[in-house]
Amino acid sequence: MIKGKKKKIKALVTKVGLDGHDRGAKVVASMLKEAGMEVIYLGMFQMPENIVKAALDEDVDVIGLSYLSGEHLIFTPLIVEEMKKNGLDNVLLVAGGTFPAEDIPTMEEMGIDKVFRAGSLSESFVEYIRDNVKE
Amino acid sequence: MKKNSNIDEMIQQLFAGNRRAASRLITRVENETEDHHEIMKKIYPHTGQAMIVGLTGSGGAGKSTLTDHLIQKFREQGKTVGVIVVDPSSPFSGGALLGDRIRLQRHFLDDGVYIRSLASRGYLGGLSRATYNVIRILEAMGMDIIIVETLGAGQDEIDIIHVANTCILVATPGMGDDIQAMKAGIMEIADIIALNKADLEGANRSLRQLQTALSVASLEEGQWAPRVIPTVSMGSRPEDLKGIDELTSAVLEHQEYLDTSRSIDQVKFERVEEELGLVFKDELQRLIFKGLRGTGKKRKYINSIIEGKNDPYSVVDEILNTYLIRKKKK
Amino acid sequence: MTGKNNANEVNWDDYLKAYYEKPSSFKSWSGYDIKEIYTPEDSPDEKYEEKIADAGKYPFTRGIHANMFRGRLWTKREVVGIGSPADTHDRLQYLVEQGGSGLNTIADVTYEMGLDADHPWAVNEVGLTGVNITNIKDMQTLTRDIPLDKVSWSLITASTAASVTMAQYIAVAEDAGYEPAALRGSVQNDPIHFRYCGFRPASPLDLSIKLGSDVMEYCTRNLPKWYFTTVNMYDLREQGITAPQEVAFGFGIAMCYIDELIRRGLNIDEFAPRFTFYVSCHMDIFEEVAKIRAARRMWAKLMKEKYGAKDPRSMHFRFAVHTAGCSLIPQQPLNNIIRVAYEGLTAVLGGVQSLHCCSYDEPMCLPSEKAHLQALRTQQVLAYETGVTNVADPLGGSYYVESLTDKMEEEILKVMKRVEDVGGMEEAIRTEWLDHELESEAVERQKELDDGSKLVVGLNIFKEEQEKETPLGAQRVSSQSAKQQIEEVKELKRTRDMSQVRDAIKRIRDEAGEGKNTIPPMMEATRAFATTGEMLGTVRQVFGYSYDPMNIIESPFD
Repeated sequence: MIKGKKKKIKALVTKVGLDGHDRGAKVVASMLKEAGMEVIYLGMFQMPENIVKAALDEDVDVIGLSYLSGEHLIFTPLIVEEMKKNGLDNVLLVAGGTFPAEDIPTMEEMGIDKVFRAGSLSESFVEYIRDNVKE
Repeated sequence: MKKNSNIDEMIQQLFAGNRRAASRLITRVENETEDHHEIMKKIYPHTGQAMIVGLTGSGGAGKSTLTDHLIQKFREQGKTVGVIVVDPSSPFSGGALLGDRIRLQRHFLDDGVYIRSLASRGYLGGLSRATYNVIRILEAMGMDIIIVETLGAGQDEIDIIHVANTCILVATPGMGDDIQAMKAGIMEIADIIALNKADLEGANRSLRQLQTALSVASLEEGQWAPRVIPTVSMGSRPEDLKGIDELTSAVLEHQEYLDTSRSIDQVKFERVEEELGLVFKDELQRLIFKGLRGTGKKRKYINSIIEGKNDPYSVVDEILNTYLIRKKKK
Repeated sequence: MTGKNNANEVNWDDYLKAYYEKPSSFKSWSGYDIKEIYTPEDSPDEKYEEKIADAGKYPFTRGIHANMFRGRLWTKREVVGIGSPADTHDRLQYLVEQGGSGLNTIADVTYEMGLDADHPWAVNEVGLTGVNITNIKDMQTLTRDIPLDKVSWSLITASTAASVTMAQYIAVAEDAGYEPAALRGSVQNDPIHFRYCGFRPASPLDLSIKLGSDVMEYCTRNLPKWYFTTVNMYDLREQGITAPQEVAFGFGIAMCYIDELIRRGLNIDEFAPRFTFYVSCHMDIFEEVAKIRAARRMWAKLMKEKYGAKDPRSMHFRFAVHTAGCSLIPQQPLNNIIRVAYEGLTAVLGGVQSLHCCSYDEPMCLPSEKAHLQALRTQQVLAYETGVTNVADPLGGSYYVESLTDKMEEEILKVMKRVEDVGGMEEAIRTEWLDHELESEAVERQKELDDGSKLVVGLNIFKEEQEKETPLGAQRVSSQSAKQQIEEVKELKRTRDMSQVRDAIKRIRDEAGEGKNTIPPMMEATRAFATTGEMLGTVRQVFGYSYDPMNIIESPFD
């Protein structure tokens, strides 16, 4: 059992828009929990406002977006905009799901800190989050 | 790290109802940062006025959906509502899945509602250690009503009674919990029992069982008689819901009872007593271990106990005499 | 395991290890221990006629038709759904020109949710993963110039919106002069399972059974050549469950509909011959074939013994296969072509009636034209070059496969018993027991990948640096198409005769309220230019649900 005075990482995992493929989001939430993080799982049908409001009220360290229906380029700028408006610039933003390799640099330019493709091994996103959440 | 003036600013913003300030302060207090004492000292004078409603009950009983409806009803009455939902931390990983927010979706964009999820972080009793302080912060923020949803309801998870003015136990028919709860004495602790999923088979029987159990509990003159309210909180359609109005009324009536009978004073007394005890214990431990830190004494003490040269009681006596002034009993 | 470190530095120790390498696991994909070799002793009292039988004979373990693919090749039916109805129509046509033998169109998330293209939540996502058919004109565009009495068309709308899809399709067909009785094809129409695919707001359980059965009943009586459901165990499998769970849960859901149809007074032999299934084919070739054979045997017994079916066609486990999307990964995408080839082979060895092979870009985007074509070619190579079509059930008689088929049957029964123990399928759904099963299996699958107990090339072995581009280009959905469709919908709503629409909506409301079948009034309403959201929303209201599944807009007819 790992004990320690390290600050607990609070993560928010959510789907965006109408897309209902939530297997990945739920698995990621579970794996983050098993890595010792406290995970707010928002589920489906979330719009940018809801996501950012929840992130704000829960004072999360990282937001994880799950995109599996081609909506990644549509919603990402809206979410980043909403985060900026609410002063959440310090919150790490990651995304996972289904998108062409070509879109990854675009998503990063839009403001996503790191993109994880479908089927990423747990170690990759757990370590990334641990290493990159801002103090 | 933030400096003092920033904290003061945040606290002022908190009093003005600023969510961001509340959110940040809650994190500090939850993580017991260096300045969390400072924060609590400054906030405390602005607390004590909110109506605090606790919901407890086994997982799957429908606490969150009832909370969702209660929030709606209170909002309709123009009250602001703070909500604290507690979920268990994994004893193995220390992590937690805080999933109750999902059931409170419709209030996300309502500025009159503030929801915060807390993980128990190993604290037994159904709440988290921070819950007491988070409630104070929400009070200071100006919330009229604070709803606290605990994790589960076992025999030990009844700390909710120390923080809530009104305790609602959420039970469901035929789960066997109602019988268990009777044995645990939870019946005496709950002010209101919501028999949720009252559309299920066995509901009438459970209702009768509960009512019987309550009727034999001895009550003093003028004391509040715990009430059982059948509810149906989960339904895709408005017409499927039952008992929500009755539950809300019961809560408000209980509040009124507390005020008029001045029982609220007793409630407040016990609440502060509990808080004091907790802070006392925390502080004591903190001070002592702070004092011992770096001296190597803690390790020496422990080893001496293991070697049979000492025992915990004698060690504590020695520590207290060394680090605190203790008046001798007269 | 890694590849070469450097072009000039082969690690010869690694080479030796690879040369002598033993597989790390001897379990089937679903976790069952497999022996080194199977012999006649593994099926000591095999009763061929009773338990296995020839293809085309009860219990149909070896296939539903005596001559299987010699009689007719499986339908090469690639799923198509992209952008607007016009875009979809064009891609459909293209695949037919290239040799596709069945038409197959899929609804996008907005349509499945029952939203018009101009719904506030739909505007961002119209056409991204399929096609939205808001009104009759959309359906006309989709089917333009296609002889509906000659083709076999699979309409993939799974949710309660499938009722609208049927109404729209039949109305368009009739108006174009086709006899409903001549229409051939299928509609997925399995709203119950769809709640597990993110469409819970659109598919409350009671409404799912009601509308699902309306479609089934209407088609049974009026479209004798139409398959009115494709009970979708594929999507359940996509959640991460095992092969036996896939079949057990699929059967459970199928029985919910069957029980309802019987309650409505239909005789089992009236409708069961038109029941079909959507099945996954995942990477474990033999397990999947055994699963299918077991499913065939069990379905036949179920229909005969539990439901008293007399017509052999009622006992046929008729199925389409969608190769497993979840087995594909975005890393080294061309490997997906190989995976799909194996899975297609598995489907054919299993005796499939209709096959969709995933395109290799499935884990990245909608199929590009080239990727779509590649998937079709995969089917064609399989059909024309491998010889697997020569014989019915070529794996039948294999000691391994017969033993594994029995094992699958045993395991499927175990899962069905567990469902019974929690009170039956409806109860399992209502209490969210099934949700927990799906979720815990998904976590298990992830752990298997994390700890290497399941190996996937490119994911946890033989990893390479992430490629920067999708081979042969990534498919984009034109936002122009969506905008245009949305404008057209708005225009339609402005210019149609509202009094006609109101009357038609009222008729839907009245008849649904009287418990009548909703398809006829929906057909009428479609012709009056009522839209998907309006028709479905009205039925929802009759059943006490909100007009709009997303709770944003109100009914304009209140």
